[in-house]
This record gives sequence, structure tokens and C-alpha cells, in this order.
Amino acid sequence: MQHTKQKHAFEPKIIAFVCTWCTYAGADLAGTSRMQYPANVRVVKFPCTGRIDPVFILKAFQQGADGVLVSGCHPGDCHYMAGNFHARRRFAAFRKLLEFIGVDLKRLQFSWVSAAEAGKWVEVVTELTERVRALGPMQEFKALALEEQWSGKLDTAELQEAYEAI
Amino acid sequence: MTTETIYNAVGEAIRIEAGRILSDGTVTAVVGYAAARRNGSAQPVVITKPDDAARLIFSAACVNNLAVYLTKAKKELPREGRIGIVVKGCDLKALVGLLGESQLKREELYIIGVPCAGVLGSTLQPSVELDAESIADKCRECDDRMPQGSDFVPLVELPEQPALDKKYAAEIARLEALTPAERWAYWQQQFSKCIKCYACRQVCPFCFCEQCLCDRNKPQMVEGTPRPAGNTAWHIVRAMHLAGRCAGCAECERVCPMDIPLNLLNRKMARELKELFQSEAGFEVREKGPLATFSETDDESFIK
Repeated sequence: MQHTKQKHAFEPKIIAFVCTWCTYAGADLAGTSRMQYPANVRVVKFPCTGRIDPVFILKAFQQGADGVLVSGCHPGDCHYMAGNFHARRRFAAFRKLLEFIGVDLKRLQFSWVSAAEAGKWVEVVTELTERVRALGPMQEFKALALEEQWSGKLDTAELQEAYEAI
Repeated sequence: MTTETIYNAVGEAIRIEAGRILSDGTVTAVVGYAAARRNGSAQPVVITKPDDAARLIFSAACVNNLAVYLTKAKKELPREGRIGIVVKGCDLKALVGLLGESQLKREELYIIGVPCAGVLGSTLQPSVELDAESIADKCRECDDRMPQGSDFVPLVELPEQPALDKKYAAEIARLEALTPAERWAYWQQQFSKCIKCYACRQVCPFCFCEQCLCDRNKPQMVEGTPRPAGNTAWHIVRAMHLAGRCAGCAECERVCPMDIPLNLLNRKMARELKELFQSEAGFEVREKGPLATFSETDDESFIK
């Protein structure tokens, strides 16, 4: 069976923060089962969703992510008993804060994917990728990070002169 | 009775009580307010001798939250014995939060609660009369004018709380009605003013970490420079770390030299957490704040 890849004008970067016990194993199962899902997702493995600090999400957006997925064990299945319960509260609050700051919450997805749910992983990743693709690039944080490096205009006469003098 | 006469009576009661507890050895020090150099202004003071109790005052210019002197700014405090502290309602909520987070022990404190009809919004003119114009924004929507659970409360009668328009509630409602892009533009405009002086962190009773996440550079999570990305990240992290803990003393907003509406973020988060987890800062010590605990039935409608 030949998989034909569709060409898109924009390929979003999706960062997935996953817990090692459930979602990482679920994504692994999707791979070993030869299921197809968008290659846009970059998986970062954590011991537990409870370890995922909201600041990681900010950092991901600053470094150029167009969408972020946070995924871990279903409630009650946490390897550390309660990590995902704590994460659930923290992210409920963090979403409200981001919304108030003016971030589009459609770019941020939370999910529970167990080690057996390869199909759900494919579904979640595909849905988020297509949603973010439709939204286009995430400009807000990227623009800030760029300004952090250089806030002046890139096409000034002085710069051009300096460049030519090299 | 005007607020000024009430506050004078409160000051008198504080002086007598502070003198008493210092001379009979109940406490080794009292953290309170003393007159500062400008006419009508006040400043925090730590007194250790009974004779110095005469310096203590209370007025509408006593804006500081003294709870911060019990955590990171405690260098001037004696190491042993109980500490007396003068607190308004909002300051007491901060103290209670610190008790809940095991930063302080109740038996090491002697709390002098002040019945408070509000303080000034700005101390530029400290002798101005307290009225609907000059009152601080936080006091306009204060529900806790009488501190509860204190060791000593001056016996005074507060006048009826006038119905003032709630500025924070109105501003939050205004921002919530905007589109995300408009809100982003609003906050970017506010955050771009930030000069990263960290006065908000310095004055906050709850920012007691030995090393702040935002000062670390291996790995560097928040850029330390007063530039757009670092500013935005700092204010988001600050609001997030105070979510469910902030007592609403609005000191961060008062000390901000660039007039960033920091308490707006704090009030918004307090409201959301109350709605989500039915938990808010109060006079009862909470063993765990809303984000330090969980319930199996928490809302997860946002999780797939």
C-alpha cells in the first residue's frame, strides 16, 4: 500500500508534551502498528503530565510552535497516582489565563491517551494538525521572540551601508 | 465619625496594645506603621522596645502589606520569640495564605487586626482625605474590612461601606468582551512598558522562593531582559504562580513604576479559580490551595 503525501502550502509545527507511561507508549504503538499520522508533531517525553510546567508551553510557542498538545494517562491511571489530576487543575487554570492574555485556545489541545489507544493518538494529532493548519502560523509569540533578538528594522540605510562596507 | 477619627482611634489602640505586648514579653518585635517624613505619610517600621510603641500610627496612608516582612524581608526581625504584626483585612489574607503554605507558624505570630475602611490609591499626596476619588481600587470592591481570627482588634465602629463602582470587575468584563486579538494587543501594550525591575516580585508576600524560576538560566525559561518575549513570559508566569494563592492586597500594582495593571490578572485568576474549584483566599487557613490539590470530579470538558 503506497501512502501518498498531500502537499500543503503550510506545514504547522506541533509540539506534543506527553507522559512516558501512557501517551508515549500509545504513540509508539501507533508507530509499530504502522498507523499513519502527520509528521508535523514533535514528541517530547516527560515522566508525567504533572511534570509539564505551563512555562514549557510558553517556551514552545516562543520557539516557533504553531500548536501544542499535552497528553497523558487517563484520570486514575497515573503511574504516580495523582500527577494527571494535578495537571488537569493546573491546565484548566492556565487555559483561562492564556485566554485572558489573548491567545487562541484552538492551538492548545489537552488529551488523555492510554498506551493502548494508538487510534486515539492518531485521531488527536491529525485533528490538531489540521485545525492549526487552517488557522495558519502562530505569529504572536514568534514575533515577540524575534523582537527579543532584534527590534530594529532590518532594511535601514545604516544597516545596508554597514553590510556593503564588509 | 469620619474615617480619620476612626483611624486615629485605631492608632491609639495599636500603640497601647503594642506597648503592652512588648513590655510583658509576649512578643519580641512589632511590625507596624510609623509616620514618615512627609506630612501625613506612613512607612513600615519594626519596633523592639516598649517605648518605641508611641511611634506607631494608623492612617489611610498605611498602604503597605506588612506580611512581606515576615518572609523574605525578615532581616530586621529578631530570630526568637513571637512577632506582632499590624494587618488590614487583605494583609491578613496574605498572612493566612503564608500560614497555609507553612511559611509561618500561627503560634509565632501576634496578629493585630485593623478594622479598615480603605486606604489611599496613591501616596503622592499622603494627607489627602479618603473619599470615593482617592480610595485604592482594591478597597472599592473589598468584602473583608473586618479581619477575623486576629489576636487583637481595636474596638471601633466602621461606617457603612459606600457603594463604589468596582473598577477591576468592570475592566475584566470589558476585556473579556474583546476578541483574543484585541486582548493580545491590549496586554502587549501593557507588558511592553515593563522594565523588569521586579518590584512586583519584591513586594509580593507569596514570592518567597529562594531562587525564582525567572532568574535561572540553566535552563533559561524566561528571558531576563526587559524585552517583549521575556516581559510577556514573566507576567504570565507571575500570574500563574500566584493563581489560587494571591490574597488581593494589590501591592504589585501599587509599586509598579510603569503602572501595569498587574492586579487585573490576579483578580481574573482568583475569579476563575473560585468558579472552577470553589476556592478563594480568605481568613480560614487552607491546608492546600486549589492548585496544590485535586478532586477526582474536576471539570475536564476541555480535555479530549
